[in-house]
Amino acid sequence: MTAGVAAVETRRERRRRERQAEQDATIPVHLYGLRRGTITLITAACVLFAIFTLVPVAWIVINSTKSQTGIFTSFSFWFARPFEFFHNFSLLFQNVDGNGTYLQWFGNTVLYAAVGGGGATVLAGLAGYGFARYRFRGSRVYFYIIVGALLVPVAAITLPLYLVYAKAHLINSPWGMILPSLVSPVGVYLMRTYIDLSVPRELIDAARIDGAGEVRIFFKVALPLMVPGLMTVLLISVVAVWNNYFLPLIIFSKNTLYPLTVGIGVWSQVAERSGGNSDLYPLVVMGGLVTIVPMIALFLILQRYWRGGMLLGSIAN
Amino acid sequence: MGVTHVSDTALSTPREAPPGPARPRPPGRHSAWTRRRDRRGFWFIAPFLLAFTLFTIVPLLYAVYESLFTTRIIGGTVFSGFGNYSTVLTSGPFWGGFGRVVVFGAIQIPVMLIIAFFFATVFDLGVARFGRVFRTIFFIPFAVPVVVAALMWGFLLEPTYGPITHLANAFGFTGTNFLSSGLLLPAIILIAIWEWTGYNSIILYTALKSVPRTMVEAAILDGAPLRKIVLRIKLPMVRPAIVMLIFLNSIGALQLFVEPEILSYQGGSITNTWTPVVDVYNTSIANAQYNLGAAMAVVLALVIIVISVGSMVFRRRRGELS
Repeated sequence: MTAGVAAVETRRERRRRERQAEQDATIPVHLYGLRRGTITLITAACVLFAIFTLVPVAWIVINSTKSQTGIFTSFSFWFARPFEFFHNFSLLFQNVDGNGTYLQWFGNTVLYAAVGGGGATVLAGLAGYGFARYRFRGSRVYFYIIVGALLVPVAAITLPLYLVYAKAHLINSPWGMILPSLVSPVGVYLMRTYIDLSVPRELIDAARIDGAGEVRIFFKVALPLMVPGLMTVLLISVVAVWNNYFLPLIIFSKNTLYPLTVGIGVWSQVAERSGGNSDLYPLVVMGGLVTIVPMIALFLILQRYWRGGMLLGSIAN
Repeated sequence: MGVTHVSDTALSTPREAPPGPARPRPPGRHSAWTRRRDRRGFWFIAPFLLAFTLFTIVPLLYAVYESLFTTRIIGGTVFSGFGNYSTVLTSGPFWGGFGRVVVFGAIQIPVMLIIAFFFATVFDLGVARFGRVFRTIFFIPFAVPVVVAALMWGFLLEPTYGPITHLANAFGFTGTNFLSSGLLLPAIILIAIWEWTGYNSIILYTALKSVPRTMVEAAILDGAPLRKIVLRIKLPMVRPAIVMLIFLNSIGALQLFVEPEILSYQGGSITNTWTPVVDVYNTSIANAQYNLGAAMAVVLALVIIVISVGSMVFRRRRGELS
């Protein structure tokens, strides 16, 4: 109990400290000599854009509580009877009309995102360290090729993967989704730049003089300093897998393997084709809501790593 | 290349002495000991390189290989050289789709970046109340998968029941159909702006944060108005970040696929060749013309590479890149 309280306090303290630091870094607004209305006007612009941002989110929250008739006939931005939230939610655990079970898709997505995104982060961390702190024959060429891969459209890689999978029996195999997700050229690029900035060469050299091996140096010296960068790459990689639509759309024909994106897409297609007779629309809405809530939660939890994530901004400078 | 390196490193046991690479290195900096140790760095990139080779390089080469063949119902698969390429290069619908994504990018990217830069500046200067709250709200769409974003907007824009359609009708635009062929592209531009503005804004915000405070303070002391501080000092300083965002967003725009595909499930009127990637998808998966689809994908890749390398060379010539 006490530990919990202490943790809460430190978090609050940290937040206060961060806010204070941000305030100290910002030039006091009154120095800009703004007219009195300007700040109000700018705040109003922020409010307008915030409304634009939140409209679809509000819509999906409100309409997750409605029946199919309610979604289409009642006022879109207020609740309507009957209150169907729990009924809609319970449908996520069933295989509705044989089109697949949401819960299963959710599990699949978590598996693909965790193994694919996590693996991508590990590989990018290792490779970034290799590129940033060693110079071996061909290292520059390898790096340029990897960065150059950012220019290759996803379709140009995904389509041939499908053809190869057809021969290697990887169609309808989770590995078909996970293995390509391990490759994150952006991750390698970010990690190399991050390590360049935050893992001092002198520290590594000092460890070498002390007789530590290269692997030991990586784990004991470099890795702890790499954590914020790794969290960023993890976030980016997990989001990339979570959002991936093209690859799973092509390689999976069994609906038990779908990730959420493909599953919900299929539901919406079936709902539209049936001309509203299938009662699938509440599922599409509820499914969409349950898809975005964990991601928004994850982002709010990892909020303090955005600064690391903003890494991208500082690199671009 | 990878193979030579593996054996190279495996052989570099302590016995192997200095001679090493033919090219001389700067003296003192690279002793034989350093060089041998540096070679071990290869092992850090080896796992990534293996996955990269298997799941990027090999598929890409395989796409090129496949694109040189044609499968006929009678006669099986035959080598057809650049036959598929001449089909793609002379295909009106393919280039029509290409033109569409260029228009999409030419409108969406500037509009988005102007809004993103405006809010990044606002947050950086701290000239709005509750800046932190707005920053968090604006970033939310980045956590929403594009599939779900397209679905939500599809409901809002739905021609019969959609609330935004109702709104348009109430303002006198009766019979508005946002998913019709005329309004679908603007609708997708709106969705893309919703999806990406916050993310771009956060990146610009970080870039703005790294502008030295002293520069701004000096300008204030000189009596420069805020508009000048932003446009003459801050904007030039974050130019590299803006250029990178234009570049990344353009590559994304040329690959537009998910939004039109999902909206088509909801009644959006798209053709089978609406964008290049939609074309690739329908040609290869729906029509099972893999070879032609592969050629399309390769052409798309080449166009992107030519544009990127071209703009890089252009900028280097103007002295913007070192």
